[in-house]
Amino acid sequence: MAMIEFKGKNFEIDEDGFLLKFEDWGPEWAEYVKESEGISEITEAHQQILDFLQDYYKKNGIAPMVRILSKSTGYKLKQIYELFPSGPGKGACKMAGLPKPTGCV
Amino acid sequence: MAFVSSGYNPAKPMENRITDIGPRHFSEFLPPVIAKNKGKWLWHEIVEPGLLMHKAEGGDEVYTVRCGGARLMSVGHVRALCAIADKFCGGHLRFTTRNNIEFMVETLEEAKKLKEYLNAQKFDGGSHKFPVGGTGAGITNIVHTQGWVHCHTPATDASGTVKVVLDELFEEFGQMRMPAQVRISMACCLNMCGAVHCSDIAILGYHRKPPIIDHEWLDNLCEIPLAVAACPVGAIRPTKKEIVTEKGETKTVNTVAIKNERCMFCGNCYTMCPSLPLSDQTGDGLVIMAGGKVSNRISNPKFSKVVVAFIPNEPPRWPTLAKTIRQIVEAYASDARKYERVGDWAERIGWERFFEKTGLEFSEHMIDDFRDPAYYTWRQTTNFKF
Repeated sequence: MAMIEFKGKNFEIDEDGFLLKFEDWGPEWAEYVKESEGISEITEAHQQILDFLQDYYKKNGIAPMVRILSKSTGYKLKQIYELFPSGPGKGACKMAGLPKPTGCV
Repeated sequence: MAFVSSGYNPAKPMENRITDIGPRHFSEFLPPVIAKNKGKWLWHEIVEPGLLMHKAEGGDEVYTVRCGGARLMSVGHVRALCAIADKFCGGHLRFTTRNNIEFMVETLEEAKKLKEYLNAQKFDGGSHKFPVGGTGAGITNIVHTQGWVHCHTPATDASGTVKVVLDELFEEFGQMRMPAQVRISMACCLNMCGAVHCSDIAILGYHRKPPIIDHEWLDNLCEIPLAVAACPVGAIRPTKKEIVTEKGETKTVNTVAIKNERCMFCGNCYTMCPSLPLSDQTGDGLVIMAGGKVSNRISNPKFSKVVVAFIPNEPPRWPTLAKTIRQIVEAYASDARKYERVGDWAERIGWERFFEKTGLEFSEHMIDDFRDPAYYTWRQTTNFKF
């Protein structure tokens, strides 16, 4: 697995660019990821979704279903895609430091 | 190769982005005779194996030559198909729902010439490139999956096993001597992508060992509740465990525990969680199922039933698999009545006769033990044959 360095911080990542360990997450991680995910600047809306994903993961041990993410944050799926062009899984979850989505994706 | 840009600008990924345009409309690709007579077909016949004729209201005819395809194809092969379509069919061709290739022409002479041409094409190793057949009551292409070519959960290979079985049954592809068409399908794990659950004969990749748990990584890579919920028999539960990591540190991690005696090796938990791999060279192999169908012709659609509990993986030629499939096909072909699918035949003569006539061994593995519905698969009657 690859080790990358960004702003003096080290992150261990897989071939898809997901963080291997949630506890390694820091604000630098989001900064590092945003470029590859087509995001120029992390806005308040981005941050709100990232915070919700992290809280939900810490509390429940899973990423929320898309409907839960929408309902809890108030962002429709369309708006989530506007914020994260790769979508809630590959975009938002990666940036929030959650594990890679699995199953038949 | 050096990087060549398509014009996409990674600095502005959303600029000039075309999306949600869907597939091309099929009408753009119709041969003229099909476009002209769409919705006006009167009747059809199978002129000879691999060659169909459709008659339209106005008297137009279209002749369809069907040939086998390996499904997994190179661009070179697709170009060869295009070259044939250009030469004989005005540049038109189609693929069937079982991944055969169909070329359409307007006269019988052209069709016969095309058939002869297709049957003459060979790969360097001697295999037919475009064997003609797959029509009527024969054995057509095998619907199959990715196997070791591309998937990460297979218990066997798809392309390999399919090549083996179609080599074994090759002469049936170009003939129509079965009681009804025989659909053979293949899936490399019991996710059953494709048609194994509803085919006359089905080949299914099967594991026989429980997952190996990578405790050190499980909580990092997996959403533990999803792995727990992935199990159809409740064999997985969350737990904490003290482990020594690869680097030699001792720590307590969140992980799962699997009751091996409850696990039936479905592999669903590995689909959800990369830290639970279970594939195993000697454990993995094949299950054969039989008697499924999707059509409503006479009898309702049926699921296929397990008839062989395990055949080992024997790459590259899987001889036991080839022999067993041949055994089932021969017993069915010689005993079933006209129009009877494999499932119709087995249900008419009774499954105890199916096992007798095919020479397959019946074991406890065939007896359903999955939840309440298992009961309905047992025999609540004294009607059986000795």
